[in-house]
Amino acid sequence: MTDESKLIAAAQAGSADAFCGLARLYRERLLRFLLTRCASFADAEDALQDTLIAAFRYIHSYDSRWRFSTWLYRIAIRNAAKLRGPDTVDIGDLRDEENDPLQQCIADSETQNLWVSARSTLNDEVFTAMWLRYAEDMSVNDISTTLDRSVSWTKVNLMRGRRALETQMNSAANQSEAYG
Amino acid sequence: MDKLAKKLRADAERIEVTVSDELDRRINASLRAVEPVEQAPRTAKPPFFWLASTLTGVAAAVAVIAIVNWQSPDEPTSATPVNFVAAVPVIDLKAESAMLTGPLQDELDKLQSDLKKAEEKVKRDIGL
Repeated sequence: MTDESKLIAAAQAGSADAFCGLARLYRERLLRFLLTRCASFADAEDALQDTLIAAFRYIHSYDSRWRFSTWLYRIAIRNAAKLRGPDTVDIGDLRDEENDPLQQCIADSETQNLWVSARSTLNDEVFTAMWLRYAEDMSVNDISTTLDRSVSWTKVNLMRGRRALETQMNSAANQSEAYG
Repeated sequence: MDKLAKKLRADAERIEVTVSDELDRRINASLRAVEPVEQAPRTAKPPFFWLASTLTGVAAAVAVIAIVNWQSPDEPTSATPVNFVAAVPVIDLKAESAMLTGPLQDELDKLQSDLKKAEEKVKRDIGL
């Protein structure tokens, strides 16, 4: 039994301390993901808090056949969508660069962060699939479970996302070469 | 890992986030105030539950069939009912041989009688 499984079992038995331990394992990763989905840092923090509260409240519904991160991301995606409301446009269209919480959290670098351009290039679901695959190293099956989509949909959209981002990456590389 | 995957991984790590002490306190306080929702325990089924539910299902199906048939419109009646069974001649298979050989037997008897009469007439004529 891993440490994580022990914490889950204890949390399912009602231990808030055990769940706080679990939360500490995932909260930075979740916050980083929510930052790409929310319009402000405060929204991302609220979404994180709501996600963890919902996860603890419904910890009994967690099925150990899934990875805990898969289950947690499902809740996080739902919470982020709830914060934004049903009629909002894709997150890539929402903000100006100065107030963009994602831009503010990116360490200075010579090259542009691909996730920033991914957000404006890809739609929400494809962005999330790409994030889970390449930032979280999740399997295609887990991604399809998290997004409530078929495996084939996930594979096709990961491929599309890759193509779009490869084009972005290559054009950025060509530009930087052109400018010397 | 290919070039794009490496770049995406590295760029994700370049997004620097820290959970502030205030947020940490807030989350911990909220979690301690929350009670996990207990799942409703699954009640054990009585021993004959499945048999009873099967019988109920069968009874419901029978009831539906009965209602549908009961509500179906009357079948149209023909003006002159034809009894096809009566129109077809019934052959008693046991009596078949007697029926077929009867007329032949009569004919044979008549011929034998004619032959006997002719024989007697010839005997009379020749004076026997």
